[in-house]
Amino acid sequence: MVKKISIAVLLLFAAIVTLGQDSRPTQLKLRDIQGRYFRLNDYRGKVVLINFWATWCPPCRAEIGDLVKMQHDYRKRGLQVIGVTYPPQKLAEVRRFVRRARVNYPVGLGTKETKRLFTQSETLPMTIVIGTDGRIRDIIEGILLPDEFEQMIKPMLK
Amino acid sequence: MKRKSLVLGTAVFLMIAFTSIGASAITRKSTIRVDGMTCKMCTGSVEKALKATPGVEKVEVNLERKEAVVEYDDEKVTEAKLREVINATGFKAVEEKPKSE
Repeated sequence: MVKKISIAVLLLFAAIVTLGQDSRPTQLKLRDIQGRYFRLNDYRGKVVLINFWATWCPPCRAEIGDLVKMQHDYRKRGLQVIGVTYPPQKLAEVRRFVRRARVNYPVGLGTKETKRLFTQSETLPMTIVIGTDGRIRDIIEGILLPDEFEQMIKPMLK
Repeated sequence: MKRKSLVLGTAVFLMIAFTSIGASAITRKSTIRVDGMTCKMCTGSVEKALKATPGVEKVEVNLERKEAVVEYDDEKVTEAKLREVINATGFKAVEEKPKSE
């Protein structure tokens, strides 16, 4: 009887752990500014930087150039940047900015729910670092500094 | 004996004097006006970038007064460099006569 209870407790614990793992945001699905849908799962095996930004946010705008360069320089080493606008913005305005800044990675239109998949924080910009296994490795609040990239993200790349 | 004491006393006095001069020259406090700081969500980047700058000891960013008060080691970093750091965050460090202490 005791053995059966122990097994049940163990199974329950395993189920909770599994549920916890499944709650990771691999199910993220967003529409990009061209109207196509993409999923975070599409980039499994890569180190993904989900960058929350807004066209009216000065540090977000300042950071985009660095993200474009990172995407260009480290694509072959498995880096994938994804831009997500937050709070919701006018599509035409986002498109115009993306074109002008020559953004070379997908940009999706996010909502409060999109951001809440990762964090409750309202800081902008905000970058979520996703490992090759699809798990959140870090949440970087504010502009992504070169030292943070060198110390946190570069070691994860091929 | 008297002469020895005089030399020793002078040496101690000089050491203390040089140490005091060194200490007062090291920490500096500047108040830098920052234009464009209207978004509460995004001002954290100014503080973060300044804090990550070698030589910066303390940072206080005031959104209402649109200014950053920075304490720094002036042998390691200059106010001009602090302005560059602020500008790199997308805001504008206003060029005006610095209020330094």
